[in-house]
Amino acid sequence: MKVVFVTPRYDPSAIGGAESAARLLAEHLAAQPGFEVEAYSTCAVDHLTWKNELPPGRTEMHGVAVHRFAVAHERDEDFFHCDARLRRSPRHVTFGQSRRWLELNGPDSPGLLEALGDTDADVVVLSPYLFSVTVDGIRVSSAPTVLHCAAHDEPPLYFPAIGEAFVAADALCYYTAAERRLVQRVHRVAEKPQIVLGIGVGEPEEGGRPGGEHLGIGERPYLTFVARIDTHKGADALDRFFRLYKKRRPGPLALALVGPVSTTIDPHPDIVTTGPVEEGAKWDILRDALAFVHPGALESFSLVIMEAWQEGVPVVVNALCEPTREHCAHSAGGLWFGSYRQFEAIVDRLTADAELRRWLGANGRAYVREHYQWPALIERYARFLESVVERGRPASR
Amino acid sequence: MTEARAQPLPEPAEGDEGLDEAQLYLARVMAEIDEEVLRRRASGDLPPRIEHELDELFLRFSPMAGRNGSIEEALAVVESTSFVDPVVPVRSSKSGGAVVKKAIRKASIWYVGWVTAQISQFASATSRTLRAIDDRLEALQSDFDSQRVPAAPVIETAWGHRPGAWWVGRVEEALRDAKGRVLHAAAGDGWLVRLLAQGGLDAYGVEPRVGRIDRAEVEGLDLREEPLVAHLRAVAPDALGGLVLSGVLDAMTAPERDAAIDLASRVVADGGRLVVHSLSAVGWAAEDAPVEADLASGSPLRPRSWVALLEAAGFRSEIVEGPGARDYLVIAVSDGGGEEAATRR
Repeated sequence: MKVVFVTPRYDPSAIGGAESAARLLAEHLAAQPGFEVEAYSTCAVDHLTWKNELPPGRTEMHGVAVHRFAVAHERDEDFFHCDARLRRSPRHVTFGQSRRWLELNGPDSPGLLEALGDTDADVVVLSPYLFSVTVDGIRVSSAPTVLHCAAHDEPPLYFPAIGEAFVAADALCYYTAAERRLVQRVHRVAEKPQIVLGIGVGEPEEGGRPGGEHLGIGERPYLTFVARIDTHKGADALDRFFRLYKKRRPGPLALALVGPVSTTIDPHPDIVTTGPVEEGAKWDILRDALAFVHPGALESFSLVIMEAWQEGVPVVVNALCEPTREHCAHSAGGLWFGSYRQFEAIVDRLTADAELRRWLGANGRAYVREHYQWPALIERYARFLESVVERGRPASR
Repeated sequence: MTEARAQPLPEPAEGDEGLDEAQLYLARVMAEIDEEVLRRRASGDLPPRIEHELDELFLRFSPMAGRNGSIEEALAVVESTSFVDPVVPVRSSKSGGAVVKKAIRKASIWYVGWVTAQISQFASATSRTLRAIDDRLEALQSDFDSQRVPAAPVIETAWGHRPGAWWVGRVEEALRDAKGRVLHAAAGDGWLVRLLAQGGLDAYGVEPRVGRIDRAEVEGLDLREEPLVAHLRAVAPDALGGLVLSGVLDAMTAPERDAAIDLASRVVADGGRLVVHSLSAVGWAAEDAPVEADLASGSPLRPRSWVALLEAAGFRSEIVEGPGARDYLVIAVSDGGGEEAATRR
């Protein structure tokens, strides 16, 4: 079976949860007997500019044939005005307005769409939902399509032109049951063939050094957040919360913000920003953390939470983020905060109670082993794709 | 807080084993944290202005439902923004800027303070009013909840809900030419979905009971753990070629059943089949009927009641009696206009 994955960016240097998840799935699927996997993507790496940075053409990555197509133009400044206007009342946006938003959001890659229209693939997988190559890709694909929504409860999910993609896709793949509930609250797509899959977690690839050594803080205890350090991920809120916490609770506890930084984090003696780090360093930092804190409210899965649990580290998440809170509640592997007060009480509790930390971490690890191991997960996914291919692409679409 | 641990930690969960106990313990930990938060808030150890500012920052990138859906969360946003700070920040990146700003602030504080005090008063009055409305709604909700009828249980018998049951062949026959997907509820472990799929139908199932579908999902069947009505609400109009309901309708109250039938008439396409398997009064009262039958708020309809009900919903029905008159099957064909029929009703 030939499967084509379509993502706006396909490169390890492109930071994006949904795109990384699609890349991991593509690579694991490519290792399955009987599967030929290709990826169609753009030459862009930065989703804010859509600048062509990688060469167009075919290349090979971990068993996947990657075809990159040029983006016709960089992101238009008008997008930000349009986005700000439509976000105010997303439920009242017209089809035309949301179509305009989608065109401005891009990436506009006519070559990619043309290739999709002519593809000889048995099935096309597209992710995430809010880009024009996804929405238009579903429309033009000659093969049955699977939309990996990666949906968050955010304004564009409510736009009519985006809703069209959910309806036109032949099948849907969700990361969590919470994501499915969210999509079904907004769009009538419950009858579509679908699967709640998640993402598999590989074995830790530790670098063999203490986490504190990577961070330059020696043996001090620390909380960590590993992700893109930006406002949308909740990094600003975490930064402010932790500064106040340290003002009220002086002591050795530090905060390590690990990943590319795209917001302003003022220097602070207890806050370390590392920028991007190697895989080995990331695992070392995770392993030795007192707890992993994910302040983001707009997550559809969060692979790094699974990685923290894989290391037996307890997790603290944003109470307003249904998928990550559901992970914590189901696994009994983490706690959640909805205000500074709760954050403070949780950090107090975790720093003081090593037994609780171990218990939460052990529950999280068991949850990952039960639900998110690659071999079982990829077998389920392969069966699902086979059923989508068997069903074909209905003419009434 | 560590010292306050009332009970020792349970063993960590291993897969499903011990998970219930672990989840309960986690809920207790969260409740203790919430209590601690209330205690600290009452102590007034953090200026409200700072707390509001941080909560506002926290909510800035909250989900849509958080901003527009939940009253509690919407109120939190209103409250966090209802204080207008008259003390303007004076930090500046320019040399001497801070001094100039500070002078302007000092000179205008009486004026800014007067304006902001009025705005804050108005915002605070609005916020208090909204909170009073919310309190009233919560009281009403609480009254309503105490009288709420619990969700109808699934009523199944060992003889009537299995692959060899007499009615299964009739269902396969009725759905043979179904155009579009076929839904079965309550799907249980997927026994009927499996049979229908083997017969070449594009079948899937929903099951409201927790933990029933896990094995079948691994096997690759399309099953969802969801209540029937919630699922039907999220299905596109005319999307289904067939809908088989067994064990889910008998115990429903009249309004619940009406809602399910209205939704069924909306989602079953013109010419599609709605098949209802129901216990009869005999089967319902039999010694081997499940205990839930005694405890349920509703009870099965007589066959001719189904015919009348479904006719009003835009279906033409026929009844097939089962052996021993313990159960029966209603096979109904949609004659289109389900949405109109639902409106008429």
